[in-house]
Amino acid sequence: MSVDAQAQEAHAGAGAGHHEEIPWLRRYVFSSDHKVIGIQFLFMSLFFLVVGGLLAMAMRWQIAWPSSQEMPLPGGGMLPDVMVTDGIMLPEFYNALVTMHGTIMVFFAIMPLLVAVWANYLIPLQIGAEDMAFPRLNMASFWLAAPAGILMLASFWVVGGAANAGWTAYAPLSVSEVYSGVKLGQQLWCLSLIILGFSSLMGAVNYITTVINMRAPGLTWFRLPLSVWGLTVTSVLVLLAVPVLAGGLIMMFFDITIGTSFFQPEGGGQPLLWQHLFWFFGHPEVYILILPAMGFVSDVIANGARKPVFGYHAMVWAIVAIGFIGWVVWGHHMFMSGMTPVLGGFFMVSTLIIAVPSAIKTFNWLGTLWGGNIRFHTPMLWALGFVSLFVIGGLSGIFLAAAPVDIPLHDTYFVVAHIHYVLVGGSLFGIFSAITFWFPKMFGRMMNEGLGKLHFALTFIFFNATFFPMHMLGSGGMMRRLYDPTQYPHLQPQQDTNVFITVCALLLFASQLILVVNFFWSLFRGKRAPENPWQANSLEWSAPSPPPHGNWGGRLPAVHRGPYEYSHPERESDYWLQTDPTGAAPAPAPTTSGG
Amino acid sequence: MSNTTAAALERPTTGPGSGFGVYNMKLGMWVFLLSEVMFFTALIGAYIILRFTNPGHFAEPGVVLNVPLTAANTFILICSSVTMVKAFAEIEAGNQRGLRMYLAATALLGILFLGVQAYEYSKLVHEGFVPAAEFYAALGRDGAGAVEGGPLYGATFYTMTGFHGAHVTIGVLCLLFTTVMAFRGRYTAANHGGVEIMGLYWHFVDLVWIILFTIVYLI
Amino acid sequence: MESVNLTADAGHKGPSYFLVFIILGVLTLVEVAVAFIAALPDTLLILILLGLAVWKALLVALYYMHLRFEPAKLWWMVMAPLPLGLILVGIVLIEGW
Repeated sequence: MSVDAQAQEAHAGAGAGHHEEIPWLRRYVFSSDHKVIGIQFLFMSLFFLVVGGLLAMAMRWQIAWPSSQEMPLPGGGMLPDVMVTDGIMLPEFYNALVTMHGTIMVFFAIMPLLVAVWANYLIPLQIGAEDMAFPRLNMASFWLAAPAGILMLASFWVVGGAANAGWTAYAPLSVSEVYSGVKLGQQLWCLSLIILGFSSLMGAVNYITTVINMRAPGLTWFRLPLSVWGLTVTSVLVLLAVPVLAGGLIMMFFDITIGTSFFQPEGGGQPLLWQHLFWFFGHPEVYILILPAMGFVSDVIANGARKPVFGYHAMVWAIVAIGFIGWVVWGHHMFMSGMTPVLGGFFMVSTLIIAVPSAIKTFNWLGTLWGGNIRFHTPMLWALGFVSLFVIGGLSGIFLAAAPVDIPLHDTYFVVAHIHYVLVGGSLFGIFSAITFWFPKMFGRMMNEGLGKLHFALTFIFFNATFFPMHMLGSGGMMRRLYDPTQYPHLQPQQDTNVFITVCALLLFASQLILVVNFFWSLFRGKRAPENPWQANSLEWSAPSPPPHGNWGGRLPAVHRGPYEYSHPERESDYWLQTDPTGAAPAPAPTTSGG
Repeated sequence: MSNTTAAALERPTTGPGSGFGVYNMKLGMWVFLLSEVMFFTALIGAYIILRFTNPGHFAEPGVVLNVPLTAANTFILICSSVTMVKAFAEIEAGNQRGLRMYLAATALLGILFLGVQAYEYSKLVHEGFVPAAEFYAALGRDGAGAVEGGPLYGATFYTMTGFHGAHVTIGVLCLLFTTVMAFRGRYTAANHGGVEIMGLYWHFVDLVWIILFTIVYLI
Repeated sequence: MESVNLTADAGHKGPSYFLVFIILGVLTLVEVAVAFIAALPDTLLILILLGLAVWKALLVALYYMHLRFEPAKLWWMVMAPLPLGLILVGIVLIEGW
């Protein structure tokens, strides 16, 4: 269990010197260091977050002032005539915007921001390893993701424009040029996602192997931080779900390219088969996009509340349970597909069951906060925002899970509101919590607290102002992916709401500038970060900020207890590093009650 | 003492309850194979579903596809599996010559399999059995009478066997690399993880073919 | 990366490789024979052929991929995705009928 300290000492001297001579290119560009790869993914996915946001702004502009000469799309004049003609956005381009906003945000912004960035950066640090199990595979994972992103963006500029069949690419719309007017764009869409799938797979193989095999001495499964648990279960979901999507994408690609008829009814194919394959991947994907955030938020809330996580084991089992049940709920996306009511009932019940582990997590976060001496630092604010908005998104999810309710609400703005509450209010708030929490470790500098809090406050307000009214729009019958709501008489009374939402969305987008400023200012001018600025417990806070190549200077940390020993009654300081050997009668596993 | 620590740093699989007792590369290969299982699940699953919902698109076994030829090809792949596992057994016993011989034999058998598959494909295409729905006109092996089956037959057949063939191709390339490494003396009785994970991949490809042969050619 | 020799007794494995090979070959012949010669009802035929295929696949996994000799944890991990495939195909088939 304990590593021989003397031997470690002896090794540390030998190991310190040999990391110096890595040439610049291999250090920062073609690096196999998990931290550099994590940071590369961070910059790449933040870039795509901005791109996806810009696409959303263009869409919102069109919805608020549809095809209006008085309010032409700002910058629309710079776009070619096949996108915007005389200041009026073409419907085909609007469809491409809808598709690419969804695709880019899900696959190139949120997914890498949650999984690739933090699994790369945190897993080795939090489990006390020097690097990943397969560092070069890890590098390949990034250098596949980047071209995939470029391919996806490039598809805007090809003949016919980008894919415009929605991010779900339902057949036969997506596979037939006759219906969508897009061929090359959809092909590039398929290829880009297949390449990205490879990248995700390489990552997942790496993360799973690393967590199973490379935990530091003493770091048992139930001493892992919940971030690692979330990331591990997520990796398993990626590993098993992404290949199914890849299989579907390949068939779609063949349908478009060589004229097979997997999803084309004319040739005997089954459009519903695509929906099943897509959602068999797509629903685990939803949990891929939330489980890591749940992990980060658990870490941050325990730290901010200065209390052990309430019900650590229950939290772990809830993550695992979500990971399991997530495989049998995909049909709830397809209630409208003419599915047998028996199956509809099955999917409805399984979806409602998944609310149980989610509720366990929510109540445990509240239990963690209860009676805590809370520190409202910026990451903590984001974490609290996450919990509150995830509850709203989760509740509207329960509405939609019920087949009778889903049938009228299907494909309306109610669904748009729901997904943004869980994907922005949930995942993205969790990501911001993680960025602000681990920024000092990543770059060795503190972020500005004042700007951070301002950014949180504005984002929280404008987020709710943007997405909450969408529930009303949806209940009022406004269809999602709608080019021009004013064409429908029943939507006319809601047009003012649409304008309000667009204004708030623009302000929400503008508020993110604060993060950009804070990020880059702190990167160069921020206060130097100490090793453990948040007085947290887990292993990464025992390494220098930023950690050197090899993380631990040649000596692996020895772990003595779980990661949530805050405010231990027999100790003076209110935190207790996992590596701290003092007071170390073999420590108990993390307590299951917050006491 | 410091030696053991250095070893522990390279491969820190220790700690109570930690690790599966399997070294990183092997565990990684198994984890990767799990995702491969899901990939072929998608392709085979699509085939099963399309076949059940459109039985008219699929011909009786042996009418369009050349079963005796493919049975022989299956046998070739099974042979390559036994040579692969023999290669592993040889290096486990420290026998370099046996390792090289069996690895090279495995690669050759893999290439032979691909050659037979290429021949099979070209024959089938000549007989009008193609993946594209528009051009599907498979008259069957007797070459007379009506078109057998429908376009879904061609599409699923070429997708499944084609991706299996792609896996064999990648496997052959890796085998050639492993063989070169074996000739350079890279593997020893104590250190032959590369041969073992090569074997895992190769046997997996064989396993997939066993399933494909049955459900595509015989059912 | 030194190998962890988990199956130290190569003695019992050596001959079994060849035996497995023979069984695989024979099973393949049986499959072809069953598919073409036997006049069985379709359902039974499909079940027999699938059974034979699974038998062959298991032989490869257990002996050639050494799954029989691996730690139980790995065995469980490998079995994990199989139910998922059955769920996907099963549910879509129910739906397709």
